[in-house]
Amino acid sequence: MTLKYLLRKEFTQIRRNPFLPRLIVMFPIMIMCIMPWVMNMEVKNVVVDVVDNDRSTLSQQLVHEIAANNYFSFHGQQPSYTAALNDIEHSEADIVVVIPQHYSRDLTLGNKPQVLIAANAVNGTKGSIGSVYLSQMVTTNAVPTLQALQTNVSTFYLFNRQLNYKRYMIPALFAIIMMMITGFLPTLNIVGEKEAGTIEQINVTPVNKWTFILAKLIPYWLIAFFVITVCLLLSWALYDITPVGNVALIYLLAMLLALFFSSFGLIISNYSDTMQQAILVMWFFVVILLLLSGLFTPTRSMPAAAYLTTYANPVSYFIDAIRTVFIRGGNLKSILHQVLALLGIGLVMGCWAVQSYKKNH
Amino acid sequence: MNAIEVNQVAKRYGKVQALQDVSFSVRKGELFGVIGPDGAGKTSLYRILCSLLLPDEGSVRVEGYDVIQQMKEVRKRVGYMPGKFSLYQDLTVEENLHFFATLFGTTVEDNYDAIKAIYSQIEPFKDRKAGALSGGMKQKLALCCALVHKPSVLFLDEPTTGVDPVSRKELWDILSLLKKREITIVASTPYLDEVRRCERVAFLSEGKIRGIGSPEKILHEFSDIFSPPNLEHDEKHDNNKVGSTTENVIEVEHLVKAFGTFHAVDDISFTVRKGEIFGFLGANGAGKTTAMHMLTGLNQPTSGTGRVVGYDIRTDYEQIKKHIGYMSQKFSLYEDLTVAENIRLFAGIYGMDDKEIKHKTNALLQRLNFSEHRDSLVSSLPLGWKQKLAFSVSIFHSPGIVFLDEPTGGVDPATRRQFWELIYDAAQRGITVFVTTHYMDEAEYCDRISIMVDGKIKALGTPTELKQKFNKPDIDQVFTYLARQAKRSSD
Repeated sequence: MTLKYLLRKEFTQIRRNPFLPRLIVMFPIMIMCIMPWVMNMEVKNVVVDVVDNDRSTLSQQLVHEIAANNYFSFHGQQPSYTAALNDIEHSEADIVVVIPQHYSRDLTLGNKPQVLIAANAVNGTKGSIGSVYLSQMVTTNAVPTLQALQTNVSTFYLFNRQLNYKRYMIPALFAIIMMMITGFLPTLNIVGEKEAGTIEQINVTPVNKWTFILAKLIPYWLIAFFVITVCLLLSWALYDITPVGNVALIYLLAMLLALFFSSFGLIISNYSDTMQQAILVMWFFVVILLLLSGLFTPTRSMPAAAYLTTYANPVSYFIDAIRTVFIRGGNLKSILHQVLALLGIGLVMGCWAVQSYKKNH
Repeated sequence: MNAIEVNQVAKRYGKVQALQDVSFSVRKGELFGVIGPDGAGKTSLYRILCSLLLPDEGSVRVEGYDVIQQMKEVRKRVGYMPGKFSLYQDLTVEENLHFFATLFGTTVEDNYDAIKAIYSQIEPFKDRKAGALSGGMKQKLALCCALVHKPSVLFLDEPTTGVDPVSRKELWDILSLLKKREITIVASTPYLDEVRRCERVAFLSEGKIRGIGSPEKILHEFSDIFSPPNLEHDEKHDNNKVGSTTENVIEVEHLVKAFGTFHAVDDISFTVRKGEIFGFLGANGAGKTTAMHMLTGLNQPTSGTGRVVGYDIRTDYEQIKKHIGYMSQKFSLYEDLTVAENIRLFAGIYGMDDKEIKHKTNALLQRLNFSEHRDSLVSSLPLGWKQKLAFSVSIFHSPGIVFLDEPTGGVDPATRRQFWELIYDAAQRGITVFVTTHYMDEAEYCDRISIMVDGKIKALGTPTELKQKFNKPDIDQVFTYLARQAKRSSD
């Protein structure tokens, strides 16, 4: 019964807040409109310098091919390797291709000319993927028949035929949005009441701890529900990407993650005295959870100790499961392990949130 | 030459006219009081005088310098102590002082003489964090920081709100001392005894100056606001109580609350009878709030026993909470909810249903004459109204006893009187009232009072009994006499 009055209070406060309603609506829209374009690990626009020591028709052909390719942005020809290297040092170029003298002649004679590809590997991914692209081009240019050979090897990409990076990142973005909305807002909530002094008034009332905490959590779950709906709609409207699996499972996962984050936020809030302290602690945990979650990097390639932490990381379970459902179309059975883990962690956190809220010291 | 000349100053914030046609002048070395109810425009006036705020109209000259054109010169010469505690809570006393000295390009050593009189009182605590000082000490430190650059004009915005009577007297003694050094002082205060210590006062209300003159003249001219007739100690009310004196609402024996080795509350025992108004007095840091937190089930006692409305404070604190009302020192209604929403929330928590709430809300708002503000946000109400509302909400569920922690801090005398009428009204209805206050005139309104010093109860009885026992003419002097014996001076 009391819950009704407390909930009404929470919703009125959220609505009256000059900032929160706008944040709740604008944040998912901003993230969904911008981030899928930004969080893209495809290597594009690698800046290439070419040193053509041959100046033959064949070498010019190679240069033109590089210049015409989408993945490369042709920076120009340089007279010498040293000059090209200078460009790399000034961050004006990423890769240098040196075509040796007599390239054309050696090719025709059947000798094996050595093309040098020097890549700036400060950004390892860019360097290695860029040089792989380039060497493929050089090889096909040198031995056109090789292209024919390659067609005998057939690669078949499952689930994400076009290797669309957005399809891979959008479910992960849901995790970030949930984290911000259902993690940070509850963190600010109780500690805000502490700062305003209203918590003391609540603490001298006979209100039940569970009721009070539940009244704090429920609004954020409903907000999470709303936010996920907005995200799914935007993903369909903007990118024509829809979940392959059951949408209900996506909601289930989102709600479980919301349970974890809202409880976690309240725990931090209960232990903090000021908003500043609460936000900094929350930020610390969010960054760690996110970096160790497998959102950006595959968890399996982490060091063993770091990999072990993913067993306790709800974000990692969430991302794993939501990608399974969203991209592969997995059913409940295929994500049962993650669902149970999320539920377990969420319930423990929920109990802790109630336990750590003290009406009597 | 006049130290301050204010000429037809006006300031508005959007629709609100904060100041209008304000003109006055202050002589050099004068102790000038600015008095008026909450929201009268005092703080805006101070900010304009200190060149922190630009007036919309009019001109202000401080020490001959215009506050708009010659801001820098003005700022070199004024010291300002804002109403809210404005020092760095995480820095120690000494660090705060050094910091403010550095800001003005001087050092504490250079100006030690200027602050010696005050600073020597807080110097024993120079390594303590400013946030850990008691109310009175904080104000003394703030005053030191405002004086460290040897200003010739000092602005004090309610320097003694929330400070106990002894510390208040000390602070004003210091001000008299500064006056001898030819420092011009402009101070505002809600306390009448402090108003009387000013040479001249200006009464500000709704942004306009209603009168300037000697304190006696102003207090007399606006006596309806400043000296409302004393509350009659109702005979009928006293008689009512006699019938039920045997029943105790609070019984406390040997109650102790220790934080480490520090005994905030040190072995107190007392009883409060049903239906009485019990005044719980003590200096800042004497342990009043801690004791009250134990009685209301917010804190666990370290040792000792206590029963409130028949329940043990150690084990049945959740039961106690069902039968008490509480109004905390910090204003504690939700500012972003309306009047009616706040009432509904707290009534709902105490288990009333919608119909009953609606009915009782209407009755309450009508009784308070407040129906038209039913849907106003609490944040938009003046302080006096907020406090009346908070009190009404705390007794909305008809508790057996209500605890009030400094309910009238910073409120003008007329509003305080109205507040006490509400308290008497509640007592009439059989609600026991347990109240702490720094206003000694309010202490006289109580049926019985206790005075706490250093965590112990040093005196307990009716105001008349205590005055006789200590042979003092009023409670103020009884309190001062007892509080001066305090050994520890800070919480």
